[in-house]
Order: sequence, then C-alpha cells, then structure tokens
Amino acid sequence: MRTSVIGVWVLALTVGWAARLSCQGLVFDARRIGMGGLTLGRSGNLVRYNAAYRAVPPGEDRRGQPKATIPIPLGVIQFLHDHPNLGSDPEFKPGSPGFNPVLAVNTILNLPLYYEIKKAPTPTNNVVFGIGKDSLRVNLGASAQLVPEDQFGISGSSRPLDPGFGIKGVRVSVMGWLHDDVELQLDDNLLGFLADSQSARHDSTYRVFVHGIVQGGFAPTVAYAGRIVGDGSSGLYVGGALHYYLGVAYFRTDGTGGDSIGNPIFANPVNATAQTITQYSRAGNSFGHGVGGDVGVAWISGPIEVGLGVNDIGATITWPDTRTDTAFYTNATGGYSKPGPNHVQTTTKLPVSYIANLGYTVGNTTLGMDVLNTGRGATVHMGGEQRISIWALRGGVARDERKRVEFGWGGGVRLGPLGLDVGFWTHTNSLSNERAVTMATSVSIY
Amino acid sequence: MRAKWLRAACLSVVVAACGNGEAIFNIDVYSFIKGTAQDTIPYFVLSGSLDTSSAPQLIRLLGAGSSVVDSVLIAGTDTVQSQSGSGTIAFKLYLAADSAGTRLPSALALSVPAGTVGSAADTISCPPRPASCLLFSSANPLFAKDSVWARIAVTASNTGATPFAGKIVITSLVLSVFINDKIF
Repeated sequence: MRTSVIGVWVLALTVGWAARLSCQGLVFDARRIGMGGLTLGRSGNLVRYNAAYRAVPPGEDRRGQPKATIPIPLGVIQFLHDHPNLGSDPEFKPGSPGFNPVLAVNTILNLPLYYEIKKAPTPTNNVVFGIGKDSLRVNLGASAQLVPEDQFGISGSSRPLDPGFGIKGVRVSVMGWLHDDVELQLDDNLLGFLADSQSARHDSTYRVFVHGIVQGGFAPTVAYAGRIVGDGSSGLYVGGALHYYLGVAYFRTDGTGGDSIGNPIFANPVNATAQTITQYSRAGNSFGHGVGGDVGVAWISGPIEVGLGVNDIGATITWPDTRTDTAFYTNATGGYSKPGPNHVQTTTKLPVSYIANLGYTVGNTTLGMDVLNTGRGATVHMGGEQRISIWALRGGVARDERKRVEFGWGGGVRLGPLGLDVGFWTHTNSLSNERAVTMATSVSIY
Repeated sequence: MRAKWLRAACLSVVVAACGNGEAIFNIDVYSFIKGTAQDTIPYFVLSGSLDTSSAPQLIRLLGAGSSVVDSVLIAGTDTVQSQSGSGTIAFKLYLAADSAGTRLPSALALSVPAGTVGSAADTISCPPRPASCLLFSSANPLFAKDSVWARIAVTASNTGATPFAGKIVITSLVLSVFINDKIF
C-alpha cells in the first residue's frame, strides 16, 4: 500500500484542495470583489447566463457601471517577488525535495492576480505514520479535515466564441462550447484509513473513484431577445436561444484507481490497481449532435431589476462514432488496454446552469443579489454600493459552493471617464477556519 | 520515474499538510524481529571482552522519495536472561541499504556506551535523553528509501572472576523518523 495509496490520496487531495480554492468565485473586477462577487447590470455572468439581458439596453443598466474594467494584477508582482527564479524554484520542480504539488496546481488553477493581504494559516500538527511488520496506520491529526468525504472535483462549462449577426432582436450565430468535468471520490476503505486513522487491513482495496469528461464543439444558434412589455425606463424582457450542438470531440473515462493490500500487508511493496472504461470520439470522426436551448427573463421597473436565466436545457449530445476501450493496470501485469466496440453511438449531457438576480437602485445606492449554479452547486452573492460624490463605498457577502460564507468590501474613486477601484475579498482554504484576505485593483473606463 | 514523482508528491503534500509540523514515521522494529532469533543476543565471556551481533534484519519503510530526513530517534527496552557473572555491555546499531553493508564500520548508526548489566529491564538511553537515542545523521538518508537493513552488535566485557554469560532479549524497539521539509 503504502506510497501508492497515499499517493492516490495526495493527487486527489491536491486537485480537490485546489479545486475548492478555485470555486470561490474569483473575478477580475475590483468593483465586483468589493461587493462580494455580485453581478450587476450587464456585467459578468448576467449576459452569459440570462438570454434576455442581451436586450436590456445600457441605459437600464446599474448606475455607476463602467463600460470596461481593466484589472491591475498586483498579485503577479507579489508572486514574482516570492518566486524570483520560477524556472529553478524547487517548489515548482517535480523531483525536488521542496516540490509542492499543492502550490503548483493551485497557482495554475488560481492565477495569482490578487495581492495577498493575509494568508490563511495552515495546521501545524504532525502527521504520524505507524509502521510494523504487518501493520500500517496513519494519523493526520488536524490535517485529516483535508480528506474529502464527499465527491469533489473541478468542472466548467464555457462558450468561448459566439460570432454572429442580429436584426431586430433576432440573432444568428455560431457559438463555441466547451464542457469539462473531473470528479473524484474516495472509497470507504481509503476514507477510513486517511480520515479516521484506521489500520490498513489485509486483503483490502483502497481506491479512488474517478469520473472525467471533456467535450467541445460549436453550435449554430438562433436567438431572440427583446422587450415585450414596457418602455425605456421599465419593461419586461425575454430571451431565448435554440442551439443545434455539433460536437467535434469528446473523451470520457470512468473507473477506479488505488492499491490492493495483500496478506501480510507488506508482502509486496506496491500493489497498485486501476481499471477504467474510456469512451471517446476524436476530432475528425462524425460530429456529435443534439438540440438544446436557453431561456431568460428580466423585469425592470424603476429601481427594481429582477432576472432569471436557464441555459443548456435538454442539451444531450449524441455521438454516432464512438470508441470504447477498457484499461487495466496491476503491478503484476503492468498496464494494458483492451479495445472495445468501435463506431458505436453514445450520448453525453451538458449541465443545466441557471442564474437568478435581483437589483435595487435608488439615488446613489445600489443593492443586489444573485444565485448562480453552473452544475456543481449554487453560489450566492449579496452586496451593494454607495456613491458619494466621486467616491464609492462597497460591501458584500457571498456563500460559495462549499456553503462557506465569505466577505467583500472596498471602494473607488472616479475622475471623469476613469475610475480606480480596490476590493478586498476573504477566502478560506479548508485547512483553517481563519479567513485569508486578498486585494484586487482595477481601472474602470466610464 | 513516475513512481518516484508520486512518492515525492506524496511526501511533499503530507508534509505540506503538517504546515510547520513534521511527518513522523514510527517504525516498530520489534515487530519485525519478534519471535525470531534476531531478538535475542547471547553472550559468553570468559575474560576480557567479546563482540557478538544479531543477523541483519530487513525493515520495510514507506519510502520518502527525495524528501530530506531530519533526524531519527531510537527507543527500546531489553531484558537479560540466564545471567551469570558480572560485566558490562555496550550496544551498537549498524544500518545499511543491503545486508552486507551492515558489516561495514561506516554503517555505524548508534553507539551506546557500556553499562553494567542488571536483572531488571533495561532502557536504551543516551543522556540527556532519558529513554531514547539520536542516530548518527549519516544514517538519515537510508530512511528515505523503502527498506533498510539493521544489525545490532553487542560488546560484552567480563569484569569479574567468573564467566560473564547470559542473553539479551529485546522486548521493544521503535525507530522514529522525522521529516521536516520546508514547503510553504
């Protein structure tokens, strides 16, 4: 068992921990940071997830909303200061005694754009391994809280390009789409071994269940967004889009990986085992195809703005030219793959995502909240902004996908067409209940 | 190479999880030699002194990749059985990557000065440590591997007029390996 079991856990943990960090709603706009990540007006997630917002004119937008925001990545300066010789930095060099996979993965998943004001402390407990002739046990102490008990992973669903043209609310476009999802879950044996410090047992398997999928393509789209009731200051806006998804390629794998314990425990140094079923359709194969749609509605009445958008409804992609392989790995046999059926039909789904938002603007005060779910749990943001002359004060609170509450606050100054904003944002890292604080800065163009 | 990377990653994160703490591997060496001839070291000295030792014993470890072993402590107890005469006994522990290596003087990892043998249970101690000894740092890299060979040598010295004889039976022996890589 030994290293491979712990190694599996470590890899899972590395991804899991980093993923947890990555899903805390990091954005580039210091205004949004200051309001706890709140999406306002036509910024951020609203246009992406609510098809009706394409029709909401800028004049109906939130007051104080800039035309463009340019982030000032102070965190990059801090990062380069901390790691001046990145190429030879042992923390980023696999094989080095100082190699830190957590830091490496986390840096990739969370680009260091923000300036770290206060770092979250990490536990200082010792991790104790007990090794005997026929016994193995690990006590992670407080670090055992790092071991994820539930399914964890990273996922994303994006639409990188959407070129097209529109006439009177109707828009014809070709939308690019990309979906990725990696999920991991420890089995009961491994969970007990790591989290509950149970002794390794004879003739047992310690595994991680793995599910991963990445798929992408483009989708000819016909969309409509327009106001059906109201006038310039208030109205009801609806939007919808019909996508004909064409899948260029996809890869999906499901399986387990881990270590098989013999009797006695140290009979062999490592008994790594893994088996997966992999399905894929390469680029160049027949396109996958499917139909799905988006709907959205936004209602603006004086100071109040309410919206709801749902995306990728019924988006099931049928892949007519899929190959299915089975892969195995054991210490005794090594790794080998067993070709399965080829040119078979399989299906995949895109996750349904939704956003609901509420905004209230009166005078120089803006308040709002939104709920966003992109398929891996809902995030909630509530915040507000008070403008006083050229100054702005902001504050907000958010609940992330792990149901942890975070806080944002900040301010800004506007000088004619330019504004400078600063926002502070708390975040936690699973290692401690104490929050870290980061600072974002950005320039706004009005 | 991949396994090596995994081990490095493993240990790095294990240590990372400790923050400023340490990864400690408590190796119950006694469990490897219990019930075998290796846990008993007989001696019989007519006069002067006599060197004797156990057979080399393989000890399985987890492997620490390229992590740096900070220090290794040893703690243990023994009893003397069938003792006759009087004398002193000194312990030496030899560690090496292979069985033959434990015969080399350079494999010396611990030397406990000679002490008078009594009938009561004895505890390995190296003052000021009351119940443990720190191994020589030259032995530390061995504990980054996935196994190590150990040999216990005893020097028995007769200080009386009658033969000094008996057997030392090890009743507990634990190695504690401390790894304290700086990560964050």
